[in-house]
Amino acid sequence: MMKKLVVLLLALVMALSLTATAFADDVTLDVIIAQYGPNTNNWFLGDGMDGSNFVKKFEEANPGVKLNLEVVSWNDIYTVVSTRISNNNAPDILNIDTFADYANEGLLLPVKDYCPEELFGDFFPSFIEQSVIDDTVWAVPDLASARALYYNVDMFEEVGIEVPTTWAELEDACQAIVDFYGGEVYPWGIDMTTDEGQAAFAYYVWGNGGGFTDAEGNWAVNSDANVEAIEYAIGLVNKGFTNPNPATQTRYDLQDMFGAGKLAMVIAPNSLPSYCAQKGYTDVNYGVANIPANEGKTSASVGVMDRIMAFKDDTADQAARNEAIGKFLSFFYDPENYVGWVSMEDFLPAVNSAVGALVEANPSFEAWLDVLGGAQFYPTAKAEWIDVKQGVTNVEQSALTGGDVKTLLDELQAQITK
Amino acid sequence: MDSILVRRKWEPYVWLLPSIILMTTFVIFPIMIVFKLAFSEISKAGIVGGFVGFQNFVDAVKAPAFGPVMINTFIWVISVVGLSTLIGFIMAMVLNQEFIGRKVARSIVVFPWATSLVIQASIWNYIIKYEYGNLNNVLLNMGIIKQAINWRATYQIEFMWECGVGIFVTIPFVTFCVLSGLQSIDAAYYEAATVDGASFWQKLTHVTIPLVMPSLTVSTVLNIIYVFNSFPIIYTITKGAPANKTDTLITYLYMLAFYDQKKGPATALSVIGFTILCLVSGLYMMMTMKKEDA
Repeated sequence: MMKKLVVLLLALVMALSLTATAFADDVTLDVIIAQYGPNTNNWFLGDGMDGSNFVKKFEEANPGVKLNLEVVSWNDIYTVVSTRISNNNAPDILNIDTFADYANEGLLLPVKDYCPEELFGDFFPSFIEQSVIDDTVWAVPDLASARALYYNVDMFEEVGIEVPTTWAELEDACQAIVDFYGGEVYPWGIDMTTDEGQAAFAYYVWGNGGGFTDAEGNWAVNSDANVEAIEYAIGLVNKGFTNPNPATQTRYDLQDMFGAGKLAMVIAPNSLPSYCAQKGYTDVNYGVANIPANEGKTSASVGVMDRIMAFKDDTADQAARNEAIGKFLSFFYDPENYVGWVSMEDFLPAVNSAVGALVEANPSFEAWLDVLGGAQFYPTAKAEWIDVKQGVTNVEQSALTGGDVKTLLDELQAQITK
Repeated sequence: MDSILVRRKWEPYVWLLPSIILMTTFVIFPIMIVFKLAFSEISKAGIVGGFVGFQNFVDAVKAPAFGPVMINTFIWVISVVGLSTLIGFIMAMVLNQEFIGRKVARSIVVFPWATSLVIQASIWNYIIKYEYGNLNNVLLNMGIIKQAINWRATYQIEFMWECGVGIFVTIPFVTFCVLSGLQSIDAAYYEAATVDGASFWQKLTHVTIPLVMPSLTVSTVLNIIYVFNSFPIIYTITKGAPANKTDTLITYLYMLAFYDQKKGPATALSVIGFTILCLVSGLYMMMTMKKEDA
């Protein structure tokens, strides 16, 4: 009896030590993914990927690489990441929007260290350019979205107006809508909250030939074109053409109002139709058009792009780790997986290989890809971007309470260039 | 005999040990870390650098938003603590009377307190919404107003709503603290006062208030701390917008740390807040304790 027990114990010890060595050869990657919508978690960790999930499928296809993957909401992701960095516990792979601070502080691995060449060539070059600092690519785009003007077709017909293309036409249209509906319908939606104040800034300054930076790429938030543009936007609010509380009403509030027929026009991403469908706003008959620009200026769409980046880890076996990260990317961007991911939350792709399948599944994608082709992006590669992003929102909110736009923008410019 | 004495000596400490360990790990240790961080350089990405003296404090105090935010914090604490104490006291007096349905009334009063603050704030956010708000709907349906009113027309009004919600959710706590104090008052005092011909006011000021003072002190000190540190109401309703004009210190330092990525000044602000709270509640307790002793 005793002998049997000893043998059993020995066998157990051997088995355990064997699995231990097997684990030792595995590379485990800590991955943080941003939560884009209700399906993200399910796709990565639940059963949203044909009854299975990304982590399971990846580990089956890549023995020796384990994923410790966490989906974090946009509300918490910055807190989570910076706390982990402070505790010397940065993730291996991170999916987020900004990258410049991490790159400037020497925390990131250059993309060429881990990204397979074939995959690298598949990314849209204009997207890759947005992640370059000092001639080095620090992150790859995971997806994009583009913004355009949505308008309520039925209302426009009822009032008898055309879709505005210039700022002057926009004001006329707003006035006509106010005259027709009284206070029942807001003509124009503006979101100047901390969520997206920078988007509001971009819609107007880019439509007036201005921008966050000048032609040389230096900060120029207080250019004359910008001052005029923001004064115009604030003017729309003051004339009563917009939702009443732009500083606290987010884009989602506006999308709800638009869906419920309370707002006639809103600038929103390509995901608006499915947002409306999900929320049960089935009655809204919408049209899509270019964002109005000032007379003689070209309309610019706002492209928003998020990224995937890899953090350095000096303690790891670099070659094995880099290879594992490469495998993660290859698996993620494999059209078989990636097309499902992009279309699931209604985004636009970042790689050429996905375009064909996406257009086939949903022909409206093609028009959006055109919009995306002409879109401008935020200067997220510049180190001061976070300050500028919060700064322009602050300027807008201060202007809403009566502040002088020029003075406010001058102060912001001085603050970021000091 | 000796051994019992020895045991009596160390026994209390053994019983206290779990709390001491918990307090040290989850309260004292984090506070020490925050103090250390407040004097360290912290990069935007979150890397903690070397000692920078009072630089973070200087940056925090010099920011243009600091002054208005401190004024807001002052208004917020005084109005919420002051009014909720006053109203809570009155409600406790009412609930201390004998009447039919007293038990039901007492449980209703506790409702706002039993719900999470985020839910409360979100509900109020819906109530005062211009477009589909319940308040407008009710008033319109009752024919009291002809057109929907924008209940959040200016940031001053929005801040008043936030204070209002703060008062609403704080009242139950005060009510129950005072109620427990009221119930411990011996009825003989009132009988004696009545025999001596004391009026309602005389009984209130000479019997009730002095005797519930200890409960009131506890509720006020705790309230000052809770309300000063209260985050969900303001964050849910306005997030401090427009341009920090409805922020209090807590929401402001959160936005500073996690939106603006200025963690150094943000930790400095939390140290300032901690110090203010220690001073104010310490002072208040000393004052009231002195009175009680006298």
